[in-house]
Amino acid sequence: MNSQAQTAEAAHEPSRTLAYVVVAGLLAVLTAMEVWVSYIHALGVVLVPLLVVLSGAKFALVVLFYMHLHYDSWAFSVIFVPALMLAMTVVVILLFLMIRFFEGF
Amino acid sequence: MVALPKQIEVEESYLHGGGILGWLTTIDHKRIAVLYGVTTLFFFLVGGVEALLMRTQLARPDNTVLSAYLYNEMFTMHGTTMIFLVVMPAGLGFFSNFVVPLQIGARDVAFPRLNALSYWIFLFGAIVLNIGWFHNLSPDAGWFGYANLTERYYSPGANLDFWSLGLLISGVSSVLSGLNLLTTVINMRAPGMTFMRMPLFVWSVMVMFVLILVAFPPLTVGLIFLVLDRFFDTHFYRVVAGATPLLWQHLFWLFGHPEVYIMVLPAFGIMSEIVPTFSRKPLYGYPAMAYSTALIGFLSYGVWAHHMFAVGMGPVADSAFALTSMLIAIPTGIKIFSWIATMWGGDLKMKTAFLYALAFIVQFTAGGLSGIMHAQPPIDLQQTDSYFVVAHFHYVLFGGSAFALLGGLYYWWPKVTGRLLDERLGKLNFWTMVIGFNLTFFPMHILGAEGMPRRIYHYAPDMGWNLMNLLATIGAFTMAFSALILLINMLKSIRGGELSGPDPWDGRNLEWKVPSPPPEYNFREIPLVRARDQFWHDKYGYEGGATPAAPAPAHPLEEGGAIHMPAPSIYPILIAAGLTMGVVGMMLWIRVAVCGAFLTAFCAIAMGFEYANAGAEDEKQIGAATGLDTRKVGVWAFIGSESLFFASLIATYLIYKGKDLGGPTAETILEVGLTTTTTFILLMSSLTMVLAQDSFRRGDRSWGLRWLIATIILGSLFLGGQAYEFDSFFRKGLTLQTNLFGQTFYTMVGFHGAHVTVGVIILLALAAASWTGWFERRHRDIAVECAALYWHFVDIVWIVIFSIVYLMRSVAKA
Repeated sequence: MNSQAQTAEAAHEPSRTLAYVVVAGLLAVLTAMEVWVSYIHALGVVLVPLLVVLSGAKFALVVLFYMHLHYDSWAFSVIFVPALMLAMTVVVILLFLMIRFFEGF
Repeated sequence: MVALPKQIEVEESYLHGGGILGWLTTIDHKRIAVLYGVTTLFFFLVGGVEALLMRTQLARPDNTVLSAYLYNEMFTMHGTTMIFLVVMPAGLGFFSNFVVPLQIGARDVAFPRLNALSYWIFLFGAIVLNIGWFHNLSPDAGWFGYANLTERYYSPGANLDFWSLGLLISGVSSVLSGLNLLTTVINMRAPGMTFMRMPLFVWSVMVMFVLILVAFPPLTVGLIFLVLDRFFDTHFYRVVAGATPLLWQHLFWLFGHPEVYIMVLPAFGIMSEIVPTFSRKPLYGYPAMAYSTALIGFLSYGVWAHHMFAVGMGPVADSAFALTSMLIAIPTGIKIFSWIATMWGGDLKMKTAFLYALAFIVQFTAGGLSGIMHAQPPIDLQQTDSYFVVAHFHYVLFGGSAFALLGGLYYWWPKVTGRLLDERLGKLNFWTMVIGFNLTFFPMHILGAEGMPRRIYHYAPDMGWNLMNLLATIGAFTMAFSALILLINMLKSIRGGELSGPDPWDGRNLEWKVPSPPPEYNFREIPLVRARDQFWHDKYGYEGGATPAAPAPAHPLEEGGAIHMPAPSIYPILIAAGLTMGVVGMMLWIRVAVCGAFLTAFCAIAMGFEYANAGAEDEKQIGAATGLDTRKVGVWAFIGSESLFFASLIATYLIYKGKDLGGPTAETILEVGLTTTTTFILLMSSLTMVLAQDSFRRGDRSWGLRWLIATIILGSLFLGGQAYEFDSFFRKGLTLQTNLFGQTFYTMVGFHGAHVTVGVIILLALAAASWTGWFERRHRDIAVECAALYWHFVDIVWIVIFSIVYLMRSVAKA
C-alpha cells in the first residue's frame, strides 16, 4: 500500500474525538486529585507512592491514547518502553548510590 | 552460480562528480562515510603523534622533552582524540555508514540530510576540541575530566572550555548518527531480511546505536552542569555548596562504560564478517552470537560504577557492580569461541584482513582477562591509576577495537575505492603493528605491577622502570612505522592499485553483490532476501538445492524506471556552523551565540521543508520489511533517547533535594496554584494537538489548522506562566547560583521550557505551511503526526516534573 492509499484509508477511519475528550477529562480529574492529596499532611509516607500512581496513570493515558501506542504498531512500544524502563532504573540506582554516599553507607 | 555484475565505469560510481561543492553538500551515505574516514584517519595521526611525544618523554628517567603542563595536555588530548575522534567515529561514521545500507539492501540511510548534519557537527566539534593547541590552551584534565579539577576555580584557563564545549557539540553528532542508523536498520531492511537473517555486523552496530542513544544523554547532562559551573557560576560539583564531584563520576561513567562497548561492538561485527569469509564457512552459532551481542549491550549499561571502586561506594554497590562486570565476560566468551569454531576446519585464507582478525582474538582476550581482574574491587584498588590499567584498556581498545577496524579497512577498502590494497605491504603493516603493539603495551603490565602510576610525566632513575619504559617507547615508534606503511599502501592503491571487481573475497553478504565502488543508488533493484548469507546462496545455491520462496514485501517496491535519490543540500553544513557558533559564542561574545542560534533555527526549518517536500522520496519512507513509517520510527527513537536526558536531570534534582546550605527551597517558594493552572493548560494543549492531528487525518484542513493554532496559544500560555514564575522567584532571591535547589530547578524546568519553545516553533512552521498550502496533504499529515509525538512527550515529561518538584515539595529529601 503506498502512502496516498494510506492517506485515503485514514480519511475513512472513524473519528476518535470522543475518546480524546474523555482522556482529557480524566487527566484533569487526576491532576485535581494529585493537588488535593498533596495538601493532606496526614498521608505521611503514603503521599509519595500515591502521587507516583496518579502521575503514572496520567503518563500512561497520554502515551497510550494521545501518542497512539494503544492504536499503533507494537514496534513503537518496543522502542519506547525499554528506554522508559531504563530511564526509571537509572534514576532509582543513582538515587540509591548517592543517598548511601551522602549518608556514609 | 549466477553472473556477477561487471566492474562499473568510474563515472557511474558514487565517488565521481560534483567537485568540492558536491562533497560539501553531499547526503550520500557512502560519501559521508568517506568524509568520516578521512577525518578519523587525520585524527588517528594526530592522536598518534601525541602518543609518540609522551612515549619519547618517558623513554628515559627524568627526561625533559615535555613539561608537566604539556604532558597533561598530551595525555588528555590523546585519550579524547582516540576515543571521540577516531575509534568511535570510525565504527559509527565510517564503517556503519558505508556498510549498513549495503548489507541490508537499502539505497541510503533513513535520513540522508541528518547524516550529513551529523558529519559536519562532528567535524566542527573536533575542531573546537583541538583549537586550543593554537593558543597553548589545550584541555589538560584527563579524558574523563574529573570534577572538581575541571571547575573554573582549579582550571581557570580556557582549556576545559574547549573540552566541555567540543564534547557537547560532538555528542550531538553521535546521537543524531545513532538515531539515523538505528532507524535505518529497523525500517530500511530489504524484504525478507528478518532480524535473524541480518549480517552479524549489522546486529553488532544496531546494539551500538541503541547504546549511543541511551549512553550519551547522561554525558550531555554532566557536561551541561560543567558548562553552567564554569560559565554561570553554579555549583553542581562544588562541595562548598553542599554538592559533590561524585555526581560527575556517575554521569560520566554512565556514558563511559557503554562507550567502551560502543567502540568494541563494531569490532565484533567486523570480526563476524572477516572470519567466516576467510574461513569459507558460515558463522558458527549465529543465534548465540546475535543474542550475546544484545546481552553485551544490556549488561554494558549496568557496570559503570566498576570505574569507581576506589571512590568507596560501600560493599553492596561494589558487590553488585563486580557481579555485573564479571557477567559480561560470558557473552563475550561466546563470541570468542564462536569465531574459533568458525575457523575450525575452515579453508583459511591468510589475507591481511584475516591476520588482523586473528590478532584481535588473542589481544582482545588478553585485555578481557585483565579486565576480569579489575572487576574484583580488592584487586582493582591495587591497580587503579597504575600502568596496569593503561595496559588493560589499550589491549581492549587498540589490540581489540583498532586491530579489528584495521582488518575491516583491508576488508572493505576494495568496496570503498574499487581497488585492492597491496598484500605484501599489508602483511608488513600487520607484523610491524603486532610487534610494535605488544612491545609497547605488554611491558606496561609489569610497570603497573611494579607500582608505576599512570599520568606521571617523569620518574627517578632508581625506580626500576627504565628498561620497560624504553621497550614501550621502541614499540610505539615501531607502530608509527607500521602506520606509515599503511598510509603508503593506501596512497599506492588509490593511485593505481589492482582493480578489485565487485567480490574480491568471495563474500557472503549483499554489499559484495553491487559493483565496487558502488553506484550512488547502491542497488538497481532492491534485493529479496530468502536466507542468511543471501549473496553466498545467490552464488552457490541453497542447501538441498531448492530455492526458498521469495518474501512478500510489507510495502510495494519501486517498479523499474528512473531511480530517485535525494538531492544534495547546503543546509547540513550551515546548521552545524550555526550550532558551533551558538555554543562557542559563549566563550567569545554572546552576540555570536545568538547569531548562531538564529542561523541554526532558520536552516533547520528550511531543511525540514526541503525534506518534507522531497517528492518521490516519500514513497521510500514506508519500510519494505516492516510497513512502518520511517519518520515515526525516528521520532520514537529520539523520544527514547530524550527519556534518558530528562531522567538524568530528574535524578540530579532528587539527589540534591534537601542538601541546600541556605536560601529558598521547594517547600518555601513554589506556588502550586499557579503551576496547577499552567499544568492544566499544557495538558489541554495535548488534547488540541491530538484533535488537530485527527482533523488533518480525516482531511479536514480547516479544523486541523484551528486546533493547531489553539495548541500554539496554549503552549505559549504555558511558557508565559513559566516566565512569570521564574521572574517572581528571581525577585524572591532564588537565582541559578543561590543554592542547589535553584540550580537544579532552573536547569530541569528550563530545559523542559526550551523543549516546549522548540515545539511551539515547529507548530508555527507547520501551521504556516498548512495555511499557505505549501505541504502536500500526505507530507503534512505525517509531519503533524511527528510533531504531535514530540509535543505529547514534552507533556508527559511535565507530568513527572509537576509531581516530583511541585507536589512532593514538602517531602524533605529524596
